[in-house]
Amino acid sequence: MKGYFLTPTGYVFIGVFLLVSSVLFYLEILSRRSGDLPSFIASIGYLWMLLSPVLTMRLLAEEKQKKTDQLLLTSPVSLPGIVIGKYLAAVSVLLTAAVLSLLYAGIVAAYGRVYPLELAANMTGFILQGCCFAALDLYCSSRAETPASAAAMALGANFLLWILDLASDAVQADWLAEAFQFFSLYRRNEPFLMGQISYAGILFDLSFAAGCLILTVYRLDRRRYQ
Amino acid sequence: MTATDGNAAIRMEHVTRKYGAITALKDLSVTVPKGQMLGLLGRNGAGKTTALNLMTGYLPPTSGSITVNGMDMLEMPRACKRQIGYLPEQPPLYDEMTVTEYLMFVCELREVVRRDRKRHAAEITERCGLAEVRDRILGHLSKGYRQRAGIAQALCGNPEILILDEPTAGLDPRQTADMRALIRELGEDHTIIFSSHMLQEAQQLCERVVILHEGEVAGDFMLNAPGAAGSFLLVKTAGGGTKAAEMIRTIPGILEAGCASGEKRQENGLRIRLAKDADNAAVRDAIFRKLAAADLPIREMREEREPLEELFLRLTE
Repeated sequence: MKGYFLTPTGYVFIGVFLLVSSVLFYLEILSRRSGDLPSFIASIGYLWMLLSPVLTMRLLAEEKQKKTDQLLLTSPVSLPGIVIGKYLAAVSVLLTAAVLSLLYAGIVAAYGRVYPLELAANMTGFILQGCCFAALDLYCSSRAETPASAAAMALGANFLLWILDLASDAVQADWLAEAFQFFSLYRRNEPFLMGQISYAGILFDLSFAAGCLILTVYRLDRRRYQ
Repeated sequence: MTATDGNAAIRMEHVTRKYGAITALKDLSVTVPKGQMLGLLGRNGAGKTTALNLMTGYLPPTSGSITVNGMDMLEMPRACKRQIGYLPEQPPLYDEMTVTEYLMFVCELREVVRRDRKRHAAEITERCGLAEVRDRILGHLSKGYRQRAGIAQALCGNPEILILDEPTAGLDPRQTADMRALIRELGEDHTIIFSSHMLQEAQQLCERVVILHEGEVAGDFMLNAPGAAGSFLLVKTAGGGTKAAEMIRTIPGILEAGCASGEKRQENGLRIRLAKDADNAAVRDAIFRKLAAADLPIREMREEREPLEELFLRLTE
């Protein structure tokens, strides 16, 4: 369960995250001589959507493919224990990336002004979003047979979640639009980007992640009966 | 069966397991006493792997109960799993870890106290003959070493029961011999259940053999025990042939009697199989009286073991 730093995956994830985010940092902040951290953080938030599948794809799908799940499931560990362990491993890599991205805030602070409370709200939203994607993608990994199909499913799921927001503008029925907005992670993240700590947002994100984890446990349990 | 509740390591009662519409195990009941070395034999697809997967709690049964040291697998899965080390058909190795890293990880999974892990992993490495590859990556190891790493993994946490699914499959003769020696050594202080399709292996290692056929127990007997199933009486008479066989067939407790094949036939050999619960001595006496009454003197009577291979083929037809 703590296999991330034994394998290249964790390092590759952080490496790619830093590479892409620093390009974004250059484009959005440095080249424009701007100090607009919130919009930068919003941009790197999109990275979660693309990178989280890479982080989670192997977690359960590969165990199944290589049959190492036989070790986990015959060890004195409960299913929720296994799922939570996997999830925390993914989240810890994600947090490492988030902490490293504070460097950018440091750079901006050296040349301009950073509002700590605003930054804290931005980062909270940013991390929560990552946690949601990781949980959703972990569930995808539990449904897939191979890591590659897990990644494909996860990307699709993340993308769908993202376009829910756009879809809500397009649909006619109000109730449908509202439902779409309710589940839209980006809509939920907006207050954080504006520097507010949204308790509704925190609650939603945490329950969303918890819901995904519960589904994952349920899925793994069902699989044993098939 | 022979085991009472107190000394049964694993007890499966009326266990059925279905995969969708396919029934892999039908009403299987097997009790394995503590300390026994049991070989589970059967053709491919007979349900061996499914039976082992159920015993280890990897899969739940569709119906029936499984207890480990008296504890129910469905009610107390963690306590049960603590008692069992499992080597699945394909060793569950994380290819990117080294042998030592892997064993440390398994020790953690199997609740070995943190400060003991290093020592415990080192002991197991030594015992399984992995010392020279301890820092190599599992993905780079040969089949023989991978299989050893698989056994090593099953030993983490000192489980009392070892369940090994085809531990020698795919090994070369040298590795097979080494693996058997290791299993025999482990058998001294563990209850071991292993599956195999190599009859000779079961004969070398096991006290008891259970033969599965199409998800059911087709044979269950102790090897090397007098009067055990799979043994028969060979009686040589001074003549009589088929007539003698017919006479003997009427004795209660006799399952079948016929003329022996080959060389023994020329000596008027009769091959007699007893029912499982027959009183061996009483049946022998009855045979003597019957043949004596018909004036067919017995020249030789002895118990022979049916070669396991023959038995296996007969039971899995």
